[in-house]
Amino acid sequence: MSVSLVSVMFVSAGLIALGAFISAWKRQLTAALTGLPVMFAGAGIAFAGVARFGASASGPPLIGQEMAVLLALAALAAVGLAVGLAGRESSR
Amino acid sequence: MDSLHAIGFYVSAALAGVGGLGLAFARRHQRRGLGLGLVGLGVAGAYASLSAGFAAVIALLCYAGCALLIARTDYRTVEQAAGTIWRQVGAVGAALLFAALAYAAFRGDFVHATFYGGAFGSLSLARLMFAHDALATEAVGGMVLIALVGAAAAWRRDRPRDDREGRS
Repeated sequence: MSVSLVSVMFVSAGLIALGAFISAWKRQLTAALTGLPVMFAGAGIAFAGVARFGASASGPPLIGQEMAVLLALAALAAVGLAVGLAGRESSR
Repeated sequence: MDSLHAIGFYVSAALAGVGGLGLAFARRHQRRGLGLGLVGLGVAGAYASLSAGFAAVIALLCYAGCALLIARTDYRTVEQAAGTIWRQVGAVGAALLFAALAYAAFRGDFVHATFYGGAFGSLSLARLMFAHDALATEAVGGMVLIALVGAAAAWRRDRPRDDREGRS
């Protein structure tokens, strides 16, 4: 059993599509926005996979991991802002 | 990559998928928070299997924060105006997106390079984030700060008296 960049991309595609499905399917706005971190997770796995399997020796090899870190932070920020805005909207 | 890391990657990917399905079909927000926590656990495991230990730790913390935000007790709901037909169109679109991405991954001709980094990589990442890409890191840090301040301000301001006193 081994892992290649193709299998990493396949997992990434599944998570991105699952996040898009969650965002499209849920009726509640705060439930639909939980698809956003799932899509970001898929993109982060793709970046980390490229850094692991496809990074060239000439350039910085860990840019994919850096993008994965920044995507996780962006997911937290997006969920925090959206939950806060949803709370404000429904309190009126 | 040895078999242990490969098993860890596939188990983590399955965990993230199960968590995502739980997010999609759970009706209560506590269970959605649990699902998001499972997604975070799976993603962190996948990162760790891909020799991205530092990214795994950060992802675990961030997704735990997201899960706690979703599962909090004073959770509020906002109904969307989109009808059922548009939700179904969106679901079909997500399926088409998966088909397109999976086809691109299956047919893609990827270069394979030898990985020279370590299992955790925090020192190399720190050099990259704070020296090579310092501006991008500061931009994302500023975005996170603005988002969290905005969330706190939106949550605290103009709350009705009943909400402030804990009555709904």
